[in-house]
Amino acid sequence: MSSITLTSSDGIEMSVDRTTAERSVLIKNMLDDLGDSGDAVPLPNVNEAVLKKVIEWCEHHKNDPPSASDDDDNRRKTTDIDEWDQKFMQVDQEMLFEIILAANYLDIKALLDVGCKTVANMIKGKSPEEIRKTFNIQNDFTPEEEDQIRRENEWAEDR
Amino acid sequence: MEDNAELESFRRQWREEVTRRSKPKTGTPPAPTPTAPPLSRLPPTRHEAAHRNEVEEEGPPLASFDPDELAQQVGELSVQPAEEDFSRREAVEPTSALEHFERAVEKEAEGNLGDSLTHYRKAYRLDSAVDKSYRNKHYSHVWKRPNQPTPAQATTTQLQAAEVETVPTQELIASFAHLPIPQAESIIENTPPPPCPIAAMPSEVIAEILNHVALDDPSTFARMALVCKRMAYHFAHDQPTWKGLCQASKFGFGGMHYDFACDVLGLPIYTLGSRYTPFPKDEPVEVPPPLSSWRQVFQSLPRIRYTGVYISTVNYTRPGATAAYSNVSWNSPIHIVTYYRYLRFYPDGSVISLLTSTEPVDVVPYISRENVAAALTPANRKHKRNASDHGQSLSGAADPLPAVASNALKHARRGRWHLASPTNTPEPSDSAWKPESGATEKPLLSDQRDIIIETEGVDSRYVNTMHLSLRSSTIPKAAQASPAPPNPSKNTKLAWKGFWSYNKISEEWGEFGIPNDRAYVFRRVRGWGLE
Repeated sequence: MSSITLTSSDGIEMSVDRTTAERSVLIKNMLDDLGDSGDAVPLPNVNEAVLKKVIEWCEHHKNDPPSASDDDDNRRKTTDIDEWDQKFMQVDQEMLFEIILAANYLDIKALLDVGCKTVANMIKGKSPEEIRKTFNIQNDFTPEEEDQIRRENEWAEDR
Repeated sequence: MEDNAELESFRRQWREEVTRRSKPKTGTPPAPTPTAPPLSRLPPTRHEAAHRNEVEEEGPPLASFDPDELAQQVGELSVQPAEEDFSRREAVEPTSALEHFERAVEKEAEGNLGDSLTHYRKAYRLDSAVDKSYRNKHYSHVWKRPNQPTPAQATTTQLQAAEVETVPTQELIASFAHLPIPQAESIIENTPPPPCPIAAMPSEVIAEILNHVALDDPSTFARMALVCKRMAYHFAHDQPTWKGLCQASKFGFGGMHYDFACDVLGLPIYTLGSRYTPFPKDEPVEVPPPLSSWRQVFQSLPRIRYTGVYISTVNYTRPGATAAYSNVSWNSPIHIVTYYRYLRFYPDGSVISLLTSTEPVDVVPYISRENVAAALTPANRKHKRNASDHGQSLSGAADPLPAVASNALKHARRGRWHLASPTNTPEPSDSAWKPESGATEKPLLSDQRDIIIETEGVDSRYVNTMHLSLRSSTIPKAAQASPAPPNPSKNTKLAWKGFWSYNKISEEWGEFGIPNDRAYVFRRVRGWGLE
């Protein structure tokens, strides 16, 4: 099993199994382009701490069957996150979003999915004010605007 | 003096409201009856209710949905709780006049006029000016404005004021397009603000997160839109998410049935051919013509909700004890009788129909297939049911089925349902809505909003057939004219079009008279349909 070297944004080199690294479509494409030169693959958007987490995830999931089709209803079930992934995602919010960003950049669909589902679960059942508190978002509506949007969208509440 | 005028106007308004509730037909313009092909097949006649309700519950016909018109709704004075959990909020009986009055208003909103009247009476007996204290408690924000003595005027003035400064909602939302997610300010001065990593996410990631939120529960998506301007923009313009919602089966049209999917007792019917679905996932689909976005499709096409219960509240009066020979006079009692019809739909095509005088709080949380099965079997098996199915059990402990609910559920009827198929399939199918006849009754279902429900009859020889039609709440003209009109849920009412029983042995149809029956109205129940 061949291994390759990845370089994080802060210049740290990490050695990974090729199959593990190829969970990332971006890395897979780069490797295909680079051929077997043995050069380190530079990842200027991912720092060491995040890259370590991402590799940990890829390591655990390297033998997963290729992701089912996008429209699969099972994939859509937000509540379903497997236990290992749930534990894996028990990190602080900054790290969680960094992992999501990295998954988006590295094009690891399944990891992006798990990350977004984790965030969606944090939103579930909360009021707008509670959601703002959870993510430290400021309310930028004027009271009138907020009221207007509330009326416009009230149909979706299905009361 | 001014107080008296206020009081008078409040009374007038209250009386008007009561009159309006008891005579819903006044004021609704008669609508053109859709030209349905004459009925040559079973059931023998178009039900009398079909015509009546066409007038009573008229919404705009589907084909004429104008996107702008989609933004409308009733602005109603109400003190209903934000979310209905159908639990007894106050187990204690009201004691003060104000509490009685509040309870009366609550009962009136539920449609239970008898109890409402009792509480109103008690309230006024305790304090003849109770309406004033009620008004001050709940509507003081309206009354305290100067020179606006009546709520009607207050609303109009508010609307007029709004017209001056309000940007039309669509434009307002469009202006939010590229705004960043605003970060919270620091709690203590001169310290770094709390981290807001979500603000750094690119649009596609935000959309992906919202996609999961929406597919899990569209109402959370709506609340998300109120978090900040950027989210409101996503809610309004995120086409892929809305398209996914339309196609999915949990809330969308992928979960609707346009043909019976099971038998009356809920056993699935297997079919070799694929079932009709308006927006199949494996083919390219487009927004149907009169509409312009997937959000509108999700909002306005006929859709049955699985996340709650449809309730029809019926009141009728019955002369009391000695009234048989005398005219109704001040001392002869008149009973106001209230009863309820409940419908709970399931995504597998089954439905539970219940006719009972048991109030929603006592029975709604327990309406489930498991509880109905338990109530129909001998008492010792009463506790066996699936704890995951209803909201009350989310706490983990399996709560026993209360006797009052169990007694009501003994009268529940199991059944099956389907919406009218928009495509009139020419070939007669055996699973058409009345398999016993072997014929198709498609002409009866001339309207896409129609729904057919078949339930168990009085005994195994009979099948009951309910013909209902989805309707939306009407919106007052004044509210429609405002730049930011209310925008309620669509198709959340079920108006009666007919009700028959069918004798499977003699193949005879009997018609049920439903003179008092009112439309079903959807109420969400916490925990239902969310797994």
